[in-house]
Amino acid sequence: MKKTLPALISHIAVILALIIVMGVLGIIAAGIAADGNEKFTGELERNVTLHILENDTAKEQGYLKELLDAFNSEYAEYGITAVDANMDQYNDLEKNGPFGYGPDVLYQANDAIMKYVDGKHILPLPVEKLECAESIGEKAWDAYRATAGGESYTFGVPVNIQQPLLYYRQDLLPENWETEWDENDNGVPDMIENWSALYRFSKQIREESGGTKYGYMKSLNDGYFASGYFFSYGGYVFGGEDGKDTRDVGFSKNDGYKGGKIIRQLATVMNLECTEDTITRNSYSRMAQGTYFATMTTPDVYTMFIKEMVLAGYSEKYALENLKTVDVPALPVSGDLEDESQGFKDMTVMGGVNGYAISSYTKAPNASLAFVNFATSYKMINRRCELLGISPARSDIAEELGGLNRVINDNLARGTIYVMPSVRALAQVWTPLQTYCAKLATDALSGTGLYVTDEAIKQGVANVDKQIYDAIHTLGG
Amino acid sequence: MRKAGAKVVKAKTKRALNVLITYCILIVVAFVFFFPCLWLILASFSKSGSIYSFDGFFPKEYGFDAFKSLFTDTVMYNYPRWFLNTLFIAVMSCVLGTLLTILTAYCMSRFRFRSRKAMMKATLVLGMFPSFMGTIAVYLIMTQFGLINQQWGLILIYSAQAPMGYMVQKGFFDTIPYSIDEAARIDGASNFTVFVKFILPLSKPMLVYTALTSFTWPWSDFILPKMLLIDKDLYTVAVGLMSLGETEFARFAAGSIFIAIPIIVLYFCLVKYMINGMSAGAVKE
Repeated sequence: MKKTLPALISHIAVILALIIVMGVLGIIAAGIAADGNEKFTGELERNVTLHILENDTAKEQGYLKELLDAFNSEYAEYGITAVDANMDQYNDLEKNGPFGYGPDVLYQANDAIMKYVDGKHILPLPVEKLECAESIGEKAWDAYRATAGGESYTFGVPVNIQQPLLYYRQDLLPENWETEWDENDNGVPDMIENWSALYRFSKQIREESGGTKYGYMKSLNDGYFASGYFFSYGGYVFGGEDGKDTRDVGFSKNDGYKGGKIIRQLATVMNLECTEDTITRNSYSRMAQGTYFATMTTPDVYTMFIKEMVLAGYSEKYALENLKTVDVPALPVSGDLEDESQGFKDMTVMGGVNGYAISSYTKAPNASLAFVNFATSYKMINRRCELLGISPARSDIAEELGGLNRVINDNLARGTIYVMPSVRALAQVWTPLQTYCAKLATDALSGTGLYVTDEAIKQGVANVDKQIYDAIHTLGG
Repeated sequence: MRKAGAKVVKAKTKRALNVLITYCILIVVAFVFFFPCLWLILASFSKSGSIYSFDGFFPKEYGFDAFKSLFTDTVMYNYPRWFLNTLFIAVMSCVLGTLLTILTAYCMSRFRFRSRKAMMKATLVLGMFPSFMGTIAVYLIMTQFGLINQQWGLILIYSAQAPMGYMVQKGFFDTIPYSIDEAARIDGASNFTVFVKFILPLSKPMLVYTALTSFTWPWSDFILPKMLLIDKDLYTVAVGLMSLGETEFARFAAGSIFIAIPIIVLYFCLVKYMINGMSAGAVKE
């Protein structure tokens, strides 16, 4: 009897808890669905002004003005006017939106947009109604999907796929590269094809110049770029089917530690600046001056390199002809830049999908949806690519444009772009990863010998996983 | 005699050595303070615009490009607008803040009322807390008043906070003999007349000092405008400069140099009054 009463009570408690949980989930799901479905009636609000938050590059290059003008003339009969929200491009909707100061439509990266989902700051969208729906690949849509109560909702419309690219100066290639640096005779210099050759070339430049010039240079502590080395050998940020299980942190999983080895080796052909952010900031002018041969960064900063080359005295034509961007080189299967015996494998890089979302606080959701539809139409995305040099998420346009656009689209489809997980906990990843990568680079350059063996590197990455886990879950998160 | 001569020489050497050491220390200290300013000024005239193209510490080539783009290239970074915004906020805060501070100080100096001492102690203690401590509360309060993204919201906060530092002004008013007030009152003057016709004319140095300090705070503040202003066209210079792109260093330096000019001009025009004001409130006679 003594045992049955507590057992009965606990059974009832469990059943009650389950009912409450199901009820809450049902309410959340119904709430989200109701929010989305009820607001998007298809009837355009008349005589409204939409505040559009775009990124600075779109504004600077004149694309935003073109977009707004085109939209305004198209929807003039409804009295809908879209204007520049004129806010910081990283404006925090969570902070300003509830008080009525946020934009109606915002263009940001998937991780920035999806952090608003928890607080219901953005609306789930009826994306199937949009012109671009069929042209965008599933992987790009996945970046904007979230589930509630077992239902999947889409909160953003992909526009631009971001992945790191290798930038290099073609005019700084050795004159004899076709005979000495093209082992597979495919007409492509080895140093932009695989990391081992780039490492060898960087070593050679550094030695020949007495340490005044460098080959590949990058701030190795930058987690966004450095994480790719770990992913390429089986590491990941969060586990689970959708990559959002924050209880499974996996930089050290599989052979992830080999990424740490690569970072350590790369540091030996750089200088101490690679342990902090200096190279990220000075790479534009150092590349222009010819001090660096190559670096890795995102496609959207191409114009900054060109601008610096012009300032350094080159003509714009020369700069455009000689500053090249290519997909990131392949990594050695062995995980050792000096061991090419096992061949090479494609590098997996961390990337993102920038896109449009609609604020929950907008007074004109249908007009906002019309704007998103217009801005992601074939015509406007084509123009966006032309003016801003973005890599479109629309596969039809990527196919037409070809070159790197197609490569980046394919990379996303086949999984060599690891899309930033759209979870808040991602914010806890950067500091431990950054600190560890900086330690690896410092160790390589100062010869402290802390991470010489594979075991030491493995242990270090395992510590990173633990630190990230603790940062997320110590306070019961 | 020889001993006395040797003593004089020794004393002279000692004094010369003292002077030499003092000057050396002063030169080092001056260099430490002056060098960053010099570097910033030279960087603002850098032709390339990037600090990474410098030849060692200083730019390779000089030009006015950064200053030119500061005032002409306003599509992304509208410096002239930011400058005018800052000027408007600073001037209005200066006028209202000075008025409130002077009135508070005068009341505390001249009138005796219940809780006066308690209020003085409370303001003294509250003044010790850094102003940014209440930023979240201020933000929430301003949202309720609909004063986010409004220049008047900032002016209101600066003006309301200014009287917290009334102690110096009160010290100054305490030095003005009370017999002046009494004589005026015997002649039939009201409190307001005494304040306007007798006390204020005697308080010019303190007014100038108060106005200057009330002006410089909003002029260079970053935290409040960053928190309360959302529209880029309402930015102040401090917030606007922080929003510049990472390759815009020369423009940042030029903007920083230019923003210092009004303060420097004001300082040189009013330094005489300012020193009088600062010392006047410090000693009770």
